[in-house]
Amino acid sequence: MKGIKTPWMNTHRRKQEAALGFLFASPWLVGFLVFGLYPMVMSFYFSLCRYDVLRIPQFVGFANYHTLLARDPYFWTAVENTLYYAFVRTPLCITGSLWLAVLINQATRGARAYRTVFFLPSIISGVVVSVLWLWLLNPQYGLINSALQMIGITGPLWLQSPEWSKPSLVLMSLWSIGGGRMIVFLAALQTVPHHLYEVVDLDGGGAWQKFRHVTLPIISPVLFLWIVLEVIFSLQVFTESYVMTKGGPLNSTLFYNLYLYYKAFDDFDMGYASALAWLLLLFSVVVTAVQFRVGKRWVYYETDSRP
Amino acid sequence: MNKLLTRIAIGVAGAAVILLLAFDAGGRRQPDDGRIHIRYWTIIGMKEIIPYFAQSFGNVQNRVVVETTPIPWQEHEKKILTSIVSGNPPDVVNQITPVAKWASRLALVPLDDYIRRDHFDSTMFFRSLWDEMRYRGRIYGVPVYSGSYALFYNRALFREAGLDPDRPPQTWDEVFALNERFVKRDARGQMLRMGFIPTYGNIQMFMLMAWQQGATFLSDDGTQIHVADSSVARALQWVQRFYAEYDQRDVAAFLGGLGFADQHGFIAGKIAMMILDSSFPDQIRAYKPTLDYGVAMVPTFPGHPTASVSGSWWLGIPRGAKHPEEAWQFIKHAVTKESQLLEIEKTEESLFPANRFAAEDPRFMNTPAREVFVRMMEYSHSPSIVPLVHDVFWREIVGAQERVIHKLQSPDAALRQAENQIQAMLDEARDYDLYVHTHAEER
Repeated sequence: MKGIKTPWMNTHRRKQEAALGFLFASPWLVGFLVFGLYPMVMSFYFSLCRYDVLRIPQFVGFANYHTLLARDPYFWTAVENTLYYAFVRTPLCITGSLWLAVLINQATRGARAYRTVFFLPSIISGVVVSVLWLWLLNPQYGLINSALQMIGITGPLWLQSPEWSKPSLVLMSLWSIGGGRMIVFLAALQTVPHHLYEVVDLDGGGAWQKFRHVTLPIISPVLFLWIVLEVIFSLQVFTESYVMTKGGPLNSTLFYNLYLYYKAFDDFDMGYASALAWLLLLFSVVVTAVQFRVGKRWVYYETDSRP
Repeated sequence: MNKLLTRIAIGVAGAAVILLLAFDAGGRRQPDDGRIHIRYWTIIGMKEIIPYFAQSFGNVQNRVVVETTPIPWQEHEKKILTSIVSGNPPDVVNQITPVAKWASRLALVPLDDYIRRDHFDSTMFFRSLWDEMRYRGRIYGVPVYSGSYALFYNRALFREAGLDPDRPPQTWDEVFALNERFVKRDARGQMLRMGFIPTYGNIQMFMLMAWQQGATFLSDDGTQIHVADSSVARALQWVQRFYAEYDQRDVAAFLGGLGFADQHGFIAGKIAMMILDSSFPDQIRAYKPTLDYGVAMVPTFPGHPTASVSGSWWLGIPRGAKHPEEAWQFIKHAVTKESQLLEIEKTEESLFPANRFAAEDPRFMNTPAREVFVRMMEYSHSPSIVPLVHDVFWREIVGAQERVIHKLQSPDAALRQAENQIQAMLDEARDYDLYVHTHAEER
């Protein structure tokens, strides 16, 4: 863009245009400054304070961060639970969606119908899904344990058991593998050029080779984007444990954001909660940066100059 | 061309500003009818009802009009919080979270001057409810409603088990011994019916037991937590004993199969004895009117008086309210014996009056169950034990019990861990409290 400098545009005029541009953008700008940037800056300031909203803040430096990292047992429980959830769930739901997308992509008839059917679960709101799964996972009367009973297995206590509660929530999150993610994968699959598959055919490769050496590289940018997004979403998991388990049993589903919520809105401990929020942001940034680093090795962009 | 663009841009920006201002002004309109309009925020649960006393206030005077806004249960605390901070709170709020949780954060107007001036008689309230209104020697709220707990037992199941349905258990040892008479399992060993489960219900049963054993939880000066006390440990040992007898996983699976309404353990006849509150007879009437049940005093330990827990629904005046005087007049009207009795007769919700004269009036005390509930109020304790860290306290108490149930810790160890955690939080909170008090005066 630097090269395009129209000679008739004098500085005065350009300034005027810039002012006009800002004026047009002002509704958004004001909104962002007042409702976006200002709260963020303030929350950082409050994270350095004791503050319960109703009374004046007391500046304590990095004491909140120190307490969190060094003395708060629940912080580490929450971190552990959340990491488990994020890193078990993400691979499962990405492969799940991809698997469904590949299946639908191969369907010769009724692809649209399948797409609709698989998409349906994801349009139901999170709270409703949670309540529904409470019953599916019910140890005594639930559909899942009844089915297991039929093949002679006594099902676990699911949400009532500290060992099974997190796997239960992961299982439940697979409910929406047919949602938006699958639709995007499906669209990506349809962009794979056909002649590349023909090349594999000529070389005598089978279905697996096609998938591994043609499909995956071509759709890798889309996969990458979703892996990054899903990790961030999973780190913020909240509704399921808030509605279904309240963090229990034995804090096994006390996720990061649930703990933050308790601190902020039950205890009115806003300074501490702000510190929690900033640590989560920091962690998300680091994880995403690492992913971009690693991503360079396996994500293929068609504009790449590499062979 | 350029001028036109400028005008459009200014127009867009202007419209945004006007919209912002309009939204702000929308909330504050005062009708110009020569009367004072006070705003009252009440909590609603399932039904959207305007309290009768808000309407009847118009019958006793015509200077003040009450505008009631029902706020959903889950959002109430947050809405009050933000309204106070923004400097535009309602004149009266109705709350159930502890008065002291708000008073300690300077969110409420102290009422002592009004009480003294009007010779407001506080002895009309159940004592534990009134005590809950006090924080550091000052009164910050007025109790309106409460709930009272008692032992519910299924008379039909008692008969089936060969027991006298007119002799409910009076001690916890009796309750424990009775359990075996009611337990029913299916062929695979899954529980189908139980006598009494200390972890089922919406109160912490072992806390009642701890109060019965004389637990205080907090030193008189409010600085030291006494959770790892022998009185509390003895209560928790009862729970431990129960789970030594009945496998935790069996009980959890059984409890998981219970739900609300006709799925409720007591209503479905799957649990023979439970500690339930004074609104529960209405549930029974709604979902299983044929259920043959009795209501008795909460069991206790031999030689110890019984104990119960009753949180108060209270009315208070938020800091920054525009019409505190009128708000006070309205509050006084809301808690008279007549207001309370009429409210209970007019509404479908089952309320328990905070005014003891209303509770003892035959218009309210018209069933044997209600007599028991009124009597239980004399033994009631406030759930507001450590105001500065109220929610931490209860989370830790529940956590300690959970660790004992899962056999991870002994009662003593679990309580010691809880005590340390609560004490650390309390120390922090007191430190902040001190800071606020010294610096608020400087201003």
